[in-house]
Amino acid sequence: MPPVIRPPSIRADQLSRRHALQLLAGGAASLATGCSEPDKNSVAQGDRTELPYVHMPEGLLPGVPQHYATALPLAGYGRGVIVTAFEGRPTKVEGNPRHPASLGATDVFAQAEVLSLYDPDRSQAIRAAGEISDWPAFASAFRARLQEHGVDKGGGLRVLTGRIASPTLLEQMAKLQKALPDLRWHVYEPTQGAEGEAARAVYGVALRLRPRLSDADTLIVFDADPLGPGPDQVANGRALADRRRRDRASARLYAAESALTLTGAFADRRITAHPDAIEAMIAALAAELGASIARPQLSSGAGEFLAAAARDLKARPDRALVLVGPSLSPTSRALGLWINDRLDGPVDAFAPDDRAPQAGTIAALADALRGGDVRTLVVLDSNPAATAPGDLGFADLMARASFRVHAGLYFDETAAASTWHAPTPHPLESWSDIASPDGAVSLVQPLIRPLWPSWSAHAILAPMAGEPDQSDYERLRAAWRGRWGTDGFEARWRKALVDGVVEDRAPEPVSRPRATLPNWTVPAPAPGFAVVFAPDPSVFDGRFANNAWLQECPQPFSKAVWGNAIEMAASDAGRLDIREGDEVEIVAEERRLSGPVRLANGLAPGVLRITLGYGRTRAGRIGNGLGINAAILRASASPWITRGAALRRVSGDGRLSPAVAGLYALPGEARKLAPELAPGAALPPPAPKPSFNTPTPTPPGDPYAWAMSIDTDACIGCNACVVACQSENNVPSVGPDQIRMGRDMHWLRIDVYDHGDGQAPRPVFQPVPCMHCETAPCEPVCPVEASVHDHEGLNVQVYNRCVGTRFCESNCPYKVRRFNFFGYADGQEYGDLGDPLVKAVNNPNVSVRARGVMEKCTYCVQRISAARRLAERETRLIAEGEVVTACQGACPTQAIRFGNLADPKSTVSVLRHDPRHYTLLEELHTRPRTTYLARVRNAGPGGSKA
Amino acid sequence: MAQLFHPYADTALRVALLGIVVSPAFLVAGGYALTRSPYVTGQTLVSPQPVPFSHEHHVGFDGLDCRYCHFGAENSRWAGLPPTEVCMTCHSQLFPHAEVLEPVRESLTKDRPIAWTRVHALPDYVYFDHSIHVAKGVGCTTCHGEVERMPLTRQATPMTMGWCLDCHRNPAPYLRAPDQVFVTAWAPPPDQKQEGLKLMRHYEIDTTHLMDCSVCHR
Repeated sequence: MPPVIRPPSIRADQLSRRHALQLLAGGAASLATGCSEPDKNSVAQGDRTELPYVHMPEGLLPGVPQHYATALPLAGYGRGVIVTAFEGRPTKVEGNPRHPASLGATDVFAQAEVLSLYDPDRSQAIRAAGEISDWPAFASAFRARLQEHGVDKGGGLRVLTGRIASPTLLEQMAKLQKALPDLRWHVYEPTQGAEGEAARAVYGVALRLRPRLSDADTLIVFDADPLGPGPDQVANGRALADRRRRDRASARLYAAESALTLTGAFADRRITAHPDAIEAMIAALAAELGASIARPQLSSGAGEFLAAAARDLKARPDRALVLVGPSLSPTSRALGLWINDRLDGPVDAFAPDDRAPQAGTIAALADALRGGDVRTLVVLDSNPAATAPGDLGFADLMARASFRVHAGLYFDETAAASTWHAPTPHPLESWSDIASPDGAVSLVQPLIRPLWPSWSAHAILAPMAGEPDQSDYERLRAAWRGRWGTDGFEARWRKALVDGVVEDRAPEPVSRPRATLPNWTVPAPAPGFAVVFAPDPSVFDGRFANNAWLQECPQPFSKAVWGNAIEMAASDAGRLDIREGDEVEIVAEERRLSGPVRLANGLAPGVLRITLGYGRTRAGRIGNGLGINAAILRASASPWITRGAALRRVSGDGRLSPAVAGLYALPGEARKLAPELAPGAALPPPAPKPSFNTPTPTPPGDPYAWAMSIDTDACIGCNACVVACQSENNVPSVGPDQIRMGRDMHWLRIDVYDHGDGQAPRPVFQPVPCMHCETAPCEPVCPVEASVHDHEGLNVQVYNRCVGTRFCESNCPYKVRRFNFFGYADGQEYGDLGDPLVKAVNNPNVSVRARGVMEKCTYCVQRISAARRLAERETRLIAEGEVVTACQGACPTQAIRFGNLADPKSTVSVLRHDPRHYTLLEELHTRPRTTYLARVRNAGPGGSKA
Repeated sequence: MAQLFHPYADTALRVALLGIVVSPAFLVAGGYALTRSPYVTGQTLVSPQPVPFSHEHHVGFDGLDCRYCHFGAENSRWAGLPPTEVCMTCHSQLFPHAEVLEPVRESLTKDRPIAWTRVHALPDYVYFDHSIHVAKGVGCTTCHGEVERMPLTRQATPMTMGWCLDCHRNPAPYLRAPDQVFVTAWAPPPDQKQEGLKLMRHYEIDTTHLMDCSVCHR
């Protein structure tokens, strides 16, 4: 197909006669060239070369995918995954059921890692002062430098890393510290909370406290977001959903928050409050439970909320938990721990990991740089130049060290500010090990040989500590042989690799001392705005900024893509005469940040929220120049909140990033689209309507009738299903300009409906894949029979028949069909997604759709087909649970179930008789195969208003 | 006034009028014939190969089983081409210096694959699976022809969608007993009609779903 130049957007008032004639001629020319010969590169027509192996890799059969267990890091912690590879080419990430931080599911970031692996913008070479160099040159320069430091025991040498949870890397770090006692190690993790200090304040000793969410009847979160993006998201989501399934009536989640979070959306009762008010609520709750502190004055809404929460807490104190978020003051966090201790709720305490040397903070490093104490700075897998709190001015300070080494996946902002840069391998290319937040250790094994020469953190630290030069594999095996001994080592090693998690490594909880009540005084309210920060649900802290799947993954509530914004409450905007999309500037002390305003629901007046990770200048061709960098406004002393900020309007044009949809309000009748129930209540059965049309039953005899059931009470809105679908089904990313034209291609979207109002939202997430209607409205309108039904109830789209009339799309009441206006996946890709390397991410079992065809969710027909072929080869029926769709596999809370409706005992059949079962737009008689379970809101007495 | 047209102009006009009516039919028929012709389907065409591999020799004379080289046939979508080391299992002993085998030896010494030319190439949007066909009693030679009589391999069948569907609609005439699938000299027995129906029941083949688009395309 010849490349087509994208026409400029046309508006009637801009169209001149000349322009119209140009377009006419262009149209005629493209019509004439449109009927060209088929692509010479396609196998059917041109290149018929076939290359067999010379030596067959053991255990590989071409065409049969292989699965390997490994772990992917997020903020330094590991999440166990099982990666699918076709002929040595990783294409899909699934969760590892044996891993405690995965339990078979993944988050959105793990799903997108395969695209990052094949990112052509990854750093591909060692660079000296920005110029391409090589390893020997770097090694000799580095060694010479280290020898200088060796003389003075490492004085003036500093290492900055992200959080390290790799036992072997920690061991190397300890060795390094021993070899160079004056070396200082600093850790900066942009999304790190402040768990440690609060525990010290309350218990007097350092403890790692982990709540057991699955055992909590009453959970109260104060500006905390356990369901938000992070290494704990999957495990927390599963724990809370499991708790709800066990007994919905006794599970109640209260959320008091300054900005709407995924936890707030999941809550049974939520209140929007300013952080100052939330701190007062925590103090009042502590006073209620017997703390000898002055009970602060609360507003009537907060008082009611707190009274209800306290009533539930006292009813079953041993099954109650309070979580206090990192943006609140250290005393409030300490008070939260004291409350938990008082309640004796389900919290485990763990001794801190003492194998690792003590690490300093980035603020200490900045001080040392400023004081001229740092001559050599080594930055491993961290990007402080873009992510460090703005008050440190870290990017400028770095130049104070004369020798700066950066090792990372990208030639990023920090690399540009360094004298040497070395590329590190992607986690899917490396040997390593890593612990999950709860301490379960996994081995990290490569799925593919490194695409470019690269050096891992292990390889960079080794020469520093004077360790022998060996491969990561040998080093890792040696480290584990040291831990396990040589007896039966091979068997244990093999088992750990196969299971994806090392046995007996999860630490045991320890008993904790009695908590002491921290001193609490009424915080003085600061004038001006409080700016709160949150990890971005798409790019996290910026490390995924160059991943197009994540950039195009809609934010949970605003549905914005390709950028962030300054989120603001509508009441504040009205007061200051600011409209959505205006450019404003926030000034906090010396720090200034300007960006577009987006009005957000559920945001407390006086609070602004900005997600981290945007405003990157050296992310790559996908992520450069999108959004604004919230880190500029952060302060190292209180990284999650900046108080006393001033705001002024700059201009009326703020380059607001596009959004694919909005938050739908649900007035009156529309409430049946996403109903909300009290626990134990049932939806009214649909009233039979008089009709001459006798409903046609599902044709009997066929052994399979595929169907899906989605529990909106378990959906946390994490988007993992959206990107899982994209990864499994070769769904293209289209870029921000196409999104502005409403041309997003996601086969599965998550609608969010609001049962409340802008100030007190009560959102319900509703994932919407194709409904696979039994009487599908898209089918009769297709003139070429490209939209047809198969015998198992799938509404299938035949790409080769489709001529692109888009009649089906107009006639689909659920709006789940997506049209390839351009060759989004096939010749006209966005950004660098057309690079030949990126094609390696495609699933070979799914067609890559061409320009001009309609596409939509297929219920992962390739997985159904694979299961059917396997079952038929063994002359049996497909068993329940054998077909797992991509969205279902990724879902942390098991909200999505898929199965055979023809089997009355299957989960989907059983769920059809659930009192919460409902069908979307049932009155249209489309008879969808995808149905829903209603959201339950266990608001409790007096809670229906909030 | 002189005549403007010769008398044969009438005939020419009649022929032209007839042509207007008839030629579309010819065009359609011609197009149909073309798409089914070996020129388009590749049937009977022999492609040049780096090594003039003879199935006639290896299968017909030596009696090698199909699966010795095409070992994916029972478990994978692809029957697979043999890796060089499989060729060299025998040819390190047999004809170790033959000139025609030079590309094979070179492949092994230089660790570079032999670049064969595909004989059977289905379009990318067809998800054909060898394993299920083999498991359900479709023999190799049913689609690949009498390879034991092919000195150079050619595509024996048209491999068009219509040809696939002929069998998907009614597989009975082509089915074999499980032990006959890899027999290259298999010919339908005289009672294939009853035998085929019996085998359909034995393999539990249900043709209702076999005509669905989603069986081969996704």
